[in-house]
Amino acid sequence: MATMRTAALRRPPAAGPHAPGFVTLEGARYTYDREVIVDGVDWRIAHGAFHCLVGRSGCGKTTLLKLAAGLLAPTDGRVLIDGAAVREPSGRVGFVFQAPTLLEWLSALDNVLLPVSLKRRPGPDDRAAALELLDLVGLGGLEGRRPGELSGGQQSRVAIARALAGEPAVLLLDEPFAALDALTREDLQQDLLRLCALRRTTVLFVTHDIAEAVFLADRVAVMEAGRIRHTLDIPLPRPRGRDLRYGADFNALCRDLRAAMDGAP
Amino acid sequence: MNGHAMRARAGSWLLLAVLLGGWEAYCRLSGVSALVVPAPSAVLETLVSELATGRLWPHIRVTATEMLLGLALGCSVGFLAGVVLGEVEGLRRLLYPYVIASQVVPKLALAPLFLIWFGFGMTSVVVITALICFFPLLENTMTALRQVDPAKLELFRMLRATRLQTLVRLKIPAGLPVILAGVRVAVVLALVGAVVGEFIGGRQGLGASIIAAQGMMDSTLMFALFAVITALGLIVYQATVHLERWLLRRLSKG
Repeated sequence: MATMRTAALRRPPAAGPHAPGFVTLEGARYTYDREVIVDGVDWRIAHGAFHCLVGRSGCGKTTLLKLAAGLLAPTDGRVLIDGAAVREPSGRVGFVFQAPTLLEWLSALDNVLLPVSLKRRPGPDDRAAALELLDLVGLGGLEGRRPGELSGGQQSRVAIARALAGEPAVLLLDEPFAALDALTREDLQQDLLRLCALRRTTVLFVTHDIAEAVFLADRVAVMEAGRIRHTLDIPLPRPRGRDLRYGADFNALCRDLRAAMDGAP
Repeated sequence: MNGHAMRARAGSWLLLAVLLGGWEAYCRLSGVSALVVPAPSAVLETLVSELATGRLWPHIRVTATEMLLGLALGCSVGFLAGVVLGEVEGLRRLLYPYVIASQVVPKLALAPLFLIWFGFGMTSVVVITALICFFPLLENTMTALRQVDPAKLELFRMLRATRLQTLVRLKIPAGLPVILAGVRVAVVLALVGAVVGEFIGGRQGLGASIIAAQGMMDSTLMFALFAVITALGLIVYQATVHLERWLLRRLSKG
């Protein structure tokens, strides 16, 4: 764990969106039953960058995310993380699913410890790290609660803490906040940005919520019928706070993104 | 327990008292022969004297032992078979028609055959009981393992869990409520298996005692034995419910 942290620190800091990709998709294609789901996607995410992928339901964005995670293997093309081809899930990538997918019979703490406990018996250090993570996602003191005793937002927080437990270099999120109410969603977006900035995590976040994409991302890709049709850079300053949402720049970018989505053939 | 539940329970007891009272009154007023319908008071008297003289205890012990042994054997083998069939898709497809077919076979009809194989006495009854308990566990375990949330399976893939870890840490705990429902069904069937098994092949036990009482035309004793069997079933069923709650609570504490 410690070696991974120092390795992450030694890597060069994030450059602009056109810097060499830390996560790279090269002509990634995925077909299922002769149906093309992902149709030749080229995409680069620089180290430490936060990218969002937007699109309507069924446009292939979840499949693209699973390709990046190594849960699916591309039919054609390659997926690279830090220069190495991704063929199967790895410990360097954390994944947050649409639903929190917590194990109902485990406490919040044990859910966060799940990734570690599948490798070895968690020691006091692991427990301390997991408690710190729960604290970071704003669940300090609730570590003994089971998922059934947590609200939807709190469950999502546990799921994020679990995904961050192995200190992954890359975090992939598949509409993790879609089922939450607007206020909770905004709180979680803010906390996610804070956490990822803290750890310099490279993020690919799938959503269909335009404001969410603009608030979170450095860059947004618009996906339509398996292809990336448009990209939009979001030059809003960081750290991003609540007031940003009511600014003219923010709303102009939302309008641009909406136009890009409507313009996608 | 809140007031509502308390009243409902009081009502159940009251109904029992009314039914027993009506039965008693019918026996006394109609002058029906005790050979046909014995009065509850007579049944109670027989029951108490049988228990007091100690004649009944060895039979209770035998039936309880057969039931518990058969239950343990049938449930563990059924669970293991369910795990294997739930995990190995090819084997499941190969064997499933046989599983269905064997469920239709009335297991008790095999009892005479088991008498030839295992002889009169406890072994035959335990084997019949185990066979009856085997199927609900097989069916429920197999179903439980196959209906795990696909997202959770993907999570375990993402965490690079081994197949064994996925089974032990995800599929079995997630399926435990369904598996335990199978155990509850098995408990009820185990009592039937043990008692009816004794009808056919037992020298001792409550089932064998019913046959003996029938031979003596002692309806009162038969009713007393029914009462004992019912009590035995209720005790084991309640114990299972408590075991189930304890297991689920333990599991949820991690």
